[in-house]
Amino acid sequence: MEMKSKTLLILYATQTGNALDVAERIAREAERRACTVVIRSTDDYDANSLPAEDTVIFVVSTTGQGDTPDSMKVFWRFLLQRNIGSHWLEGIHYAVFGLGDSGYQKYNFVAKKLDKRLSDLGATAVVEKGLGDDQHPSGYEAALDPWLSSLWSRLNEIKPHFFPKGPDFLVSNEELIGLPKFQVTYHNVDDIDSRLSTATDFKYLQMQIGRARSMSSGKVPHEKCKPDAFLKMVKNFPLTRASHEKDVRHFEFEFVSQVIKYEIGDVLEVLPSQSPAAVDSFIQRCNLDPESLITVHPREMENRHIDNNVNTLDVPIKLRTFVELTMDVTSASPRRYFFEVMSFFATAEHEKERLQYFASPEGRDDLYQYNQKERRTVLEVLEDFPSVQMPFEWFVQLAPPLKNRAFSISSSPLAHPTQVHLTVDVVSWTTPFKRKRQGLCSTWLASLDPEQSIYIPVWFHKGLLPPPPPSLPLIVIGPGTGCAPFRGFVEERAVQSQSENDGVLSEAKGGGFYAAFSRDQPQKVYVQHKMQEQSERIWNLLCEGAAIYVAGSSTKMPSDVMVAFEEIISKESGAPRESAVRWLRSLEKAGKYHVEAWS
Amino acid sequence: MDLRSERSTALVVTDDASYARNALDAIWSSENEDQKRLDPLIIFQTSSLARLPLQSSYVDQVIFFTRSVEFPVDELYAEIFRVMTPGGKLVVYRSFQIEISEVETALSALERKLLLAGFLEGERFQLKKIAHTVGIKAKKPSWKIGSSFAIKKTVKSPLKIQMDDDSDLIDEDSLLTEEDLKKPQLPTVGDCEVGSTRKACKNCTCGRAEQEEKVQKLELSADQLNNPQSACGNCGLGDAFRCSTCPYKGLPPFKLGEKVSLSGNFLAADM
Repeated sequence: MEMKSKTLLILYATQTGNALDVAERIAREAERRACTVVIRSTDDYDANSLPAEDTVIFVVSTTGQGDTPDSMKVFWRFLLQRNIGSHWLEGIHYAVFGLGDSGYQKYNFVAKKLDKRLSDLGATAVVEKGLGDDQHPSGYEAALDPWLSSLWSRLNEIKPHFFPKGPDFLVSNEELIGLPKFQVTYHNVDDIDSRLSTATDFKYLQMQIGRARSMSSGKVPHEKCKPDAFLKMVKNFPLTRASHEKDVRHFEFEFVSQVIKYEIGDVLEVLPSQSPAAVDSFIQRCNLDPESLITVHPREMENRHIDNNVNTLDVPIKLRTFVELTMDVTSASPRRYFFEVMSFFATAEHEKERLQYFASPEGRDDLYQYNQKERRTVLEVLEDFPSVQMPFEWFVQLAPPLKNRAFSISSSPLAHPTQVHLTVDVVSWTTPFKRKRQGLCSTWLASLDPEQSIYIPVWFHKGLLPPPPPSLPLIVIGPGTGCAPFRGFVEERAVQSQSENDGVLSEAKGGGFYAAFSRDQPQKVYVQHKMQEQSERIWNLLCEGAAIYVAGSSTKMPSDVMVAFEEIISKESGAPRESAVRWLRSLEKAGKYHVEAWS
Repeated sequence: MDLRSERSTALVVTDDASYARNALDAIWSSENEDQKRLDPLIIFQTSSLARLPLQSSYVDQVIFFTRSVEFPVDELYAEIFRVMTPGGKLVVYRSFQIEISEVETALSALERKLLLAGFLEGERFQLKKIAHTVGIKAKKPSWKIGSSFAIKKTVKSPLKIQMDDDSDLIDEDSLLTEEDLKKPQLPTVGDCEVGSTRKACKNCTCGRAEQEEKVQKLELSADQLNNPQSACGNCGLGDAFRCSTCPYKGLPPFKLGEKVSLSGNFLAADM
């Protein structure tokens, strides 16, 4: 009889961190039941080892276009191999929880496909797949809570060996939270070779950011955390008429560090700056000294990255700098576990009760109203619960990480070799409680003055819109800020064809430029309506072998556009709708239909 | 079939044997094909043929001769597609005893059919040696399933996987059932503060969000702001403790009796 692992394995595939949160919650609940558990990301696990496991819990997110998260691509490809055989996972038990958004056409496709594939490979499901839905009034937790309780109850029945202390055993609340994941070490000023320069020298800034973000992630070495480059703003002007409704800006940036070679269709990630007053306020509220020098390490030795260069011990940085660069205190909302831990550190009884309520399944909906829907920030939560004094280490673990914001680049490096342009919607909205909020990064960028020479840390990476060959005919659909990457496409074509701008979009040559102004008339006119008006032109281009690119910020637009193409093809070719649908699908498979959608 | 790599296989399909014989020679010399290298299979009398008795991805070239407009039938195009190797060539020749104007319509219709069957790079041409004959060449695409890009935010892959090309993978869409494609039923929101009417989406682009904003303004009187009182005692504690109908909802915490400040929010937009 084979000795199978007595450790429950949780594999997660996260894009924005939600799946990781869920995985961590499942792990905590397992530990409460005295069950030994291990969590790994799918890009940190060799799929060849699956048959040696006993029971695996999968937590997987589905991205907007129905795709697996980046960290799951290799793992998933492995599972799709034809020659694996239907007995490979025989004897293995599994359960799948998916995170998705039913506003999208391909809702939770990753979880659905994974669940089926695992079963096809011979594995046995412990419980039916759980599907978390962002559209639900209380988010994915609405599906997670009942799924988890049926999971534990079923596991107790069929795998009692996971629960050596019995099915009813639960660790008591007081012992529950254990130790924070990180430890913070304070250093004396004299101890270290302190580079306390406040110079705006960008190399120093690059090192600082690298160090801070590496410490905060615990895993990624600081070489990879450093920004690829620094930019400074040289132009900032609105593309929309002044009003309270919409504020879309055109930004032009120059490289101040070395020039990075990018391509059209690439994505620029920006690390936003937080309000200095807010950061100060947070530090003060926590009774910390902003000037203290700290290093931050994961508590568990096995989670530390082994630096190849032994000499690079983490150099201490100022506490204030660490908070400013890695902990989001004014924009993102904390998660449920934050409230749970806070309850342990509340000295006022009514606060403790309220926090415990928010962290419970009964309080989930109310927490959602108060926190997620309001985009409540860490600072605001602290303001509402003044008796809570939580150690800094817990904040390091539980405050939302300050995230980069990604934008499609709107310039072509052929046209602007030392510049990067962006087209940015300055986000603002009103919450259900009528509070006015603004987007952190877009507001910050909009506030920058080219005279100031502020350095902006950025990273470059590929998006979903690969640069087309210079002579390929194109049909590009980009409503709203979706036009951004295509401005780059047009600029590049103009340079490549050396035809000045009036060649690339020329109607005489079969092309054209058509804009849908949705609110200029009583009925809505969207891009799909304009497409219908030009159906013959579109069909001619398709017959010439044109590729299709779609970009923009909406859940429905990409599918509306696809439907419009189906209708156009069906109408112009005389073929039935199903043929048109199949044809478009083959176009996708041939790599000639690309969509980049953001929300 | 070990010699396949040295010879390319061709399939000739026609509904007129005598015509085909003459045309074949002309075509091959115009294409500069070495006759000995080709290994043609010839299928005659195919006026109503809808299936080809060959395995998939078998022939590199398919050549059609036809006189009639109805031939080949649409299903035959799908069959041809199936038996061709990826990257293979298809040539369709039509001989016409009809008006030039009708040639144009016939050819356009043919081009569309080819396109819909999945062939790419359709090109028209004419054969000089045979009168009244026009043709269309096309290719079956050599498909790449999915595209991949290097992502700079590197994904660590310590996996030792033998992964060849994409044809080794199953089609992942086949894993979905009809049920999977349906959207879930969401519960209707029943909370009193929101109300039963539909609200604007969070990324609203149609203008509804702005309309809603204009309609609802802060309903507190000056007195309530200057000298706030609370019967339940919770109003001053902050949103975490307020009732759903509390008039002070949305405001930061305050002390009873002291003037309420409207914005203590670092990210508040200027009103």
